[in-house]
Amino acid sequence: MSSVVLPVVLPLLAAFLLQPLDRVSESVARLLGPAVLVASAWVIFQVWMGHGDVPFNIALGGFAPPLGINFYVDKLALLFAMAVPLFGLLFWPWAGEHEGRAREQALMLLLLAAATGLTLSGDLFNIYVFYELVAVASFGLVTVKATGRAYVATVRYLLLSAFGSVLALVGVAIVYTKTGTLNLAQLAQLAPEMLHDPLGLAAFVLLLIGFGVKAELFPVNTWVPEVYATAPARISALLAGLVSKLAVLVAVRLLVLVFNQPEAMQVMLVLGILGTLTGELAAWRAKDFPRMLAYSSIGQLGMVFIAFSIPGPAGLLAGLAVMLHHLIVKPALFGLAARWNGSLDALTGAARSSPIAAGLFVLFALSLIGVPPLPGFWTKLLVLVGLAQEGQPLQMAAFATILVVTVIEANYLFRLAVRLYRRVDEPPAPHARLDISAAALLGAVLVAVTLMIDPVGDRLRSVAEQATDVPTYVTTVFPQSVVASDGVDAASGAPLRTGPLPLAAGGEAERLRRVTIALGD
Amino acid sequence: MIGFSLETVLYVGAIGLVAIGAVGLVMSNHLFRMVLALVIAEAGVNLLLVLAGFRGDAVAPILTGPEASAVMVDPVPQVLVLTAIVIGVGVQALAVGVLLRVYRAYGTLDVRELRLRMELDIAESAGIEPPGSQHAPAGERPLPPAGAPAEEVKS
Repeated sequence: MSSVVLPVVLPLLAAFLLQPLDRVSESVARLLGPAVLVASAWVIFQVWMGHGDVPFNIALGGFAPPLGINFYVDKLALLFAMAVPLFGLLFWPWAGEHEGRAREQALMLLLLAAATGLTLSGDLFNIYVFYELVAVASFGLVTVKATGRAYVATVRYLLLSAFGSVLALVGVAIVYTKTGTLNLAQLAQLAPEMLHDPLGLAAFVLLLIGFGVKAELFPVNTWVPEVYATAPARISALLAGLVSKLAVLVAVRLLVLVFNQPEAMQVMLVLGILGTLTGELAAWRAKDFPRMLAYSSIGQLGMVFIAFSIPGPAGLLAGLAVMLHHLIVKPALFGLAARWNGSLDALTGAARSSPIAAGLFVLFALSLIGVPPLPGFWTKLLVLVGLAQEGQPLQMAAFATILVVTVIEANYLFRLAVRLYRRVDEPPAPHARLDISAAALLGAVLVAVTLMIDPVGDRLRSVAEQATDVPTYVTTVFPQSVVASDGVDAASGAPLRTGPLPLAAGGEAERLRRVTIALGD
Repeated sequence: MIGFSLETVLYVGAIGLVAIGAVGLVMSNHLFRMVLALVIAEAGVNLLLVLAGFRGDAVAPILTGPEASAVMVDPVPQVLVLTAIVIGVGVQALAVGVLLRVYRAYGTLDVRELRLRMELDIAESAGIEPPGSQHAPAGERPLPPAGAPAEEVKS
């Protein structure tokens, strides 16, 4: 059961061992990264098979939460923890020069280790630390081309991301000041009394915008087109596909467990609408393929936020569906952009030199637009039905937005598809086999999901239901937890300002009580 | 708490530092100033975190017997701040490192010029027309050649 820490520990260890090992034996170092990722995926698969249906909690280092930090493992966490090593393998930097390759692989392992930690962590500050690790690794990865424009894009990305972290940390400080804990399960207990007020909402908005930098959230996404246009396509694929989803996952965990209030959802909805509109309009105007994908990715993530703003399991199901669909489609399209990295005009007639790539593009484009029976249709349908059931003016605005951007999406994607199949004398250069194989694999997954849409939908529904089950989350982390009102001083009604609350039983409780007495009035 | 208690002043100061950092990031056009603004904002948030566990009447908890007798500050935020400081220093060092590379590539740290030249570079490598930019120099301020020393910082 505790083997679930291995997918975090092993890549982290390998990341630091890789470069020294590369000096000793190049062939071993070449295999180390993929081997570790395969092992990580295998461990998570084993855990999923063994314990997948019942969530469980791991106290790291044997220190029980809330004093210790913990990993919370449920289906949602396992789903994304599984995706991390798989996408790492799919976009693994096999090629490249000797020294540069080892460095890039080390950064990649660092990113994947931290990303796995991000999915599993059950502690707000721990999430912040893993998030920063992901950020720092991604700064290094987007500069691997070592061009001047990549450095400019990176430095702007870095400044925005670092300031986002400052905002998130302000949110963390507010949460800690008000509740005295950063453990998500304990926050879930205390939140209804202590965080559902304007200051709590401010904390949520700060955390949302802070973590939203990676999730390409509306006001903090200016780095996206610059970075995706200058970074290698496989890094863009990883950032747009995987890393953005993990940042969304953090925001969703916070929304479901801690800030489950209508105002927080409205903030998410408004930012999502703005992101969708601006992203898709900019994609419509884009003149080169990578930036068209970058803007379209902003638009898609806006739709993810719209979906998650629907309350209850329905919203989580819709959001998960949009997220997973984008997780498959966008990295595949960026995989195609490895060769098609220039202007859209230059792609005229590309279907002749690389027919498979063009066919895959049409498949993904159709799914993005939402043509039945492809999965993209079902994801959009889930969002639209969820919004229609809420029926508030804001939700109806989001409903209209999604319909409008679908038309825009169809316009610019079909425009390119038509251009790909135009007859010209000198078609552009064909794809390398490695680039196209990643896209083809993801295309196969998409087709498989289309064929098995029913069982996949049922699976996702159970994931969503488990993730919205807050009482189970709390009792899993604190098996002996008593009533939620423990967090408030009975006499004065004021919250205890003293760190972790005495929820656990036995010696642990005694120890905590001592701390509380020593700290308290 | 009535009037200006010590804690209120500290809270206002901490949030003020974050605000100064935010304004500096948005308003300045020089990349190094933006890094400095980031440093100020991070100092502000670290102060805010320390304040989360602050107690005016606390003393250092030196154990002399089996029981901790004195009132002490909450140690958890202090641990968090240590982590945050370390992360912050790392990110700032990385930022300055990338800044050096930017300067070597373009010979300037002015954000407007860098953005323009980055857009031109992207357009050139992608084979599309360079975008019209509102920051494009209208003739009177030509761009310095790559590798040339930067202009003086203008405030």
